[in-house]
Amino acid sequence: MKKKVLSIVLTIMTLTVLLTGCGKTKDKETTDTKTSSNNVTDTPSTDGKDPAQTEEANIDISEPVTLTWFLNGNSVSDDKAVLEKANEYLKEKLNVTLKPIWGTWGNFEDNVVLSISGGDDVDIYFTSSWTQNEYNKYAKDGAWLRLDREDNNLIEKYAPDAWNMLPDILKNSAKVPGSDGEGVYALPGFKDYATQNCWDVNVTLLEKYGYTIDDIRNTDYYGFEEILKKVKEGEGKDFYPLLVEGMVLERMVNNSIMVTGDSQACNMLSYYINPTDVSKEGSYGNKIFGKFETPEYKKFVEKTREYYLAGYIDPQMAIADQANDARTAAQDAGKYLIGTQSYSLGYETQASARRGIEVQMVPCTPAYVDTTASQGAMMAISATSKNPERALMFLNLLNTDPELMTLLNFGIEGTHYEVVNGGEVKFITEARGTYQPWTNGMGNVTILPPQEGQGLNFYDTFKEYYASATAIPINGFVFDQSNVETEMAALANVGGEYALALNTGAIDPATKLPEFIQKLKDNGIDKVVDEASTQLEKFLEEKNK
Amino acid sequence: MKSDTVKFVLAKRKSRMNSIGLPAEVVINIILGLFCLLCVVPFIFVVIISFSAEDSIREIGYSFRPIKWSLEAYKFAFTSNKGIWRSYFNSFFITILGTALSVLICVLYSYPLFRKDFKYRKFFTFFCFFTMLFGGGLVPTYYVSKNILGLNDNYAALIVPALFNPFNIIVMRTFFQSSVPTELIEAAAIDGSGEYNTLFKIIVPIAKPGIATIALLNALAYWNEWYLAMLYIRTEELYPLQYLLMRSQQNIDFLTRNATMLGSEIAKIVNDLPQQNLRMALAVLIVVPIAFAYPFFQRFIISGLTVGSVKG
Amino acid sequence: MSNSMVSAKSPSKGLAKRKKTIVLLSMLAPGAIWLVLLRYLPMFGIVIAFQKFTIYTKAPTLLNNIIHSKWVGFKNFEFLFATSDSWNMIRNTVGYNALWIVLGTVIAVAFAIMLSLITKKFVAKTYQTLMFFPYFLSWVVASYFLMAFLDPTYGLISHLQKQAGMEVTQWYFINKPWPIILTIAYLWKNIGYSTVLYLAAITGIDSSQYEAASIDGASKWQQIRYITIPHLKPMIIILFIMSVGRIINSDFGLFYQVPKNSGPLFPTTQVMDTYVYRAFMATNNPGMSTAASLLQNVVGFFCVLTANSIVRKIDEESSLF
Repeated sequence: MKKKVLSIVLTIMTLTVLLTGCGKTKDKETTDTKTSSNNVTDTPSTDGKDPAQTEEANIDISEPVTLTWFLNGNSVSDDKAVLEKANEYLKEKLNVTLKPIWGTWGNFEDNVVLSISGGDDVDIYFTSSWTQNEYNKYAKDGAWLRLDREDNNLIEKYAPDAWNMLPDILKNSAKVPGSDGEGVYALPGFKDYATQNCWDVNVTLLEKYGYTIDDIRNTDYYGFEEILKKVKEGEGKDFYPLLVEGMVLERMVNNSIMVTGDSQACNMLSYYINPTDVSKEGSYGNKIFGKFETPEYKKFVEKTREYYLAGYIDPQMAIADQANDARTAAQDAGKYLIGTQSYSLGYETQASARRGIEVQMVPCTPAYVDTTASQGAMMAISATSKNPERALMFLNLLNTDPELMTLLNFGIEGTHYEVVNGGEVKFITEARGTYQPWTNGMGNVTILPPQEGQGLNFYDTFKEYYASATAIPINGFVFDQSNVETEMAALANVGGEYALALNTGAIDPATKLPEFIQKLKDNGIDKVVDEASTQLEKFLEEKNK
Repeated sequence: MKSDTVKFVLAKRKSRMNSIGLPAEVVINIILGLFCLLCVVPFIFVVIISFSAEDSIREIGYSFRPIKWSLEAYKFAFTSNKGIWRSYFNSFFITILGTALSVLICVLYSYPLFRKDFKYRKFFTFFCFFTMLFGGGLVPTYYVSKNILGLNDNYAALIVPALFNPFNIIVMRTFFQSSVPTELIEAAAIDGSGEYNTLFKIIVPIAKPGIATIALLNALAYWNEWYLAMLYIRTEELYPLQYLLMRSQQNIDFLTRNATMLGSEIAKIVNDLPQQNLRMALAVLIVVPIAFAYPFFQRFIISGLTVGSVKG
Repeated sequence: MSNSMVSAKSPSKGLAKRKKTIVLLSMLAPGAIWLVLLRYLPMFGIVIAFQKFTIYTKAPTLLNNIIHSKWVGFKNFEFLFATSDSWNMIRNTVGYNALWIVLGTVIAVAFAIMLSLITKKFVAKTYQTLMFFPYFLSWVVASYFLMAFLDPTYGLISHLQKQAGMEVTQWYFINKPWPIILTIAYLWKNIGYSTVLYLAAITGIDSSQYEAASIDGASKWQQIRYITIPHLKPMIIILFIMSVGRIINSDFGLFYQVPKNSGPLFPTTQVMDTYVYRAFMATNNPGMSTAASLLQNVVGFFCVLTANSIVRKIDEESSLF
């Protein structure tokens, strides 16, 4: 009996010693580094990471360097041939050997957080506003090197070309408050960076019932009823004409947008854009508030409930982990009339071919740029990198050299793809199956050759389309939730319980909406909204200075 | 050298009386049969879906009676996972080696815990049990494993982290308690049998059912393991089967979770995703080998123990 | 307490005893070393629960990151209690666990005894193998299977309901059936595992006891009652104590994937692990998840200590330590 107690006590004691031991050293070292970090800020060259300081324009690349590069969304099982070729090229140009880590959609989230927290030797990380290594949060937490310090502007020195060819919108939204002051902490990739929510219309079916695309164009969500009814009656009980992603539907109908920083938590905060001119203020002005209490939201969920009860919306769309599967299946089978779609250039051609129907898009607003979209794919230099200059030089080359970009992105000509129609890329299915990085996740897509069917001048159209997109007034704003994390945690759960079900009409807004609002209030939505509003005011003040 | 006592105790375990009335046996068979049916039907269902044509799933959802059959999913699974045979090998290799080592360590650790005359028995029981509840969490474990222990992109990374399972230790100790009479150890000690000799020549044969069970559970755990591969393995040649196939599942999970975030991006990505019949085919490819190997594992483990112990 | 087995016969009693201890320690060594390296060493990470974890940009190794992160006391724990649903969540977590510990034990023990009674060994082996099948299927796959029954459009049940002219049940939006569905799912997946453990314990019982009993004229049921069950007692108790240690943990996949993460089902499917997961997805703060598991462990630890000391009072032999 005694021994048992003793052994327990002993173990606990050992642990406490261990813990407090850690604690003590910590306190001590924290103060130590406080002083030392002050020194460092005064004279940044002391930390040895800026060898270029002395070399000025002449960059020394005599030392061979291996760069580890952590990417996302790939499907790569055999990169030997490509890497061999790429490394030969890179060796010659930059004396660099590339070691990519081909993260997949599924493992990136877990691995990247571990890798960053554990301080793995990685030079370049893919980051964005929607991955777990969220650009803004990790910039603030100190995981990325700042690239545009006034005293040591790495971009200017090592990656001026890649930076200068970027549209201003992307450059501006890369500037965020981080651990090293407000600045750029990652190089944005030039890809489709605008958002445009559209009705995805199955024209084949629409015309079968004697309507035309103009009938959709000339009305709005609240006016779809007659068409939906007629098609539902004609197609039968198991047919659901309205194919919706609940969260997107709400944004489309009410012209609200995601506020970056709140995106994972069911998008509770809202900013309303101006549907006719997105660069102007919306009907509520430049304000952020909880969207669920607005009359627009009430009107929206009531109508949606009507549609749901009439059988226009598949109940599966309200089941969070089923909705996407069901939606894709219905899309591919062409079993829908009107769907919701966040548009990217060329979508309708692709979709029509795949679904075997005529697909047309009816936009709800002009294309606009918000923070979430403009921080969609970026490359950050890790604080662990021993060779940040070479890493940036590599990114510079990658984003400006079509040969390198095409090689790393599409593989080797003749092995992974062949050139057809005088310049379009046609993939050789089998080889491409073993080497398929995520095209948009690598960097500047506009220097790539177009893919088969896109047309030779695809990227001209592409640039034109995205150049026409205007930034919303709060582009660049990121909600910093660190003061209200506790509330966000609770609210995310409340949101998960109600938001999707209400947005798809699966539950009755008459009873559930007030319940939802009450719960949001109980869990501190007001505090979060206040915090966000204060931050936005500050942001706008800075911006208008 | 065994004393008479030892021989006697061993001899006593040979036969077992087993007779219950026929009606009782019928009832038992009905109950267990129904439950087993419940266990097997979902599996059959998964097999059916995996052979269903994608069109059929789109048309009528998951069904036991698809409109159209298809081998597409399997064809795709094998062509898109070139390394699949290599991964089968990896899985078997890891499972066999891992099971052998982990059972050995488990027996060696739990045996002293069962010995009432072992001075530090309580301490080491607690030492082991404590880790069942408390751990450093993912980040520190990852850090220590990778940077200090070198469990990085090698077979060891797939075997070592699962070598020891506190739960199994406690269960094994309990097996010893309920099947090994204390007199036996005393008798062996009097015979002058060394501790290791006693354990492997006398105790292990008696505790065989328990050890075989632990071996089985460890084998299944190793076979099912994919998380370690996700964390530590970067080279595709080292992927165990589970992880090779699990990746697609994970991709789907991610995209489902972020569907509303990725917006336009997802429309493009989704085109590359495995269809629903493929997911089921992957599940089948994972389960079939182990499900069929299970009885063999069982026999192999038991006979392995018998061979290793009774002689001498 | 620890009774010496090496009897007084030996003259060098102390030496022999010490030697024995050393030999036994050498057996423990591989496991103990593993525990130290892979379990105890990383425990320094527990401190993250009390920190605002950040990266130390100057030299970002894990140790530096931890050393330079700010201490925030118990702030990371707040989110667990800040929600208006705390009570609901705790009720679900503890309630399901309590119910399942009892049901799981009773059914597994019953199944194990039944298996041991079947005369044809081949049949018993087959049952035992089949029972293990669910263990191989992941919760994701199981959730597809369930969907095949419950899907409002194509599900088998909905289909039958439609044929019978009844209104289709929206299983994924109504809470009432879910405690039962989850219970069945849990048992379905886990019974095979614990049955095997109990069966092994039964197989290990010295058969001479049954022989002696049947010579004395004991019926089979009496033998079960007076021989089998008492022999299973240590295993039952140990497994019970260990499951008590996880009283506020739960199988994430069962509560998240099986109900398809359906919002309206939160009242019956929200448990601590799912709450923490959703919170983590929103805040991405490793301190919070570390805090949550620390809390679970501490609570579990004290539950085990309590359970163990109760057991010890009644039956010292069967206690964990």
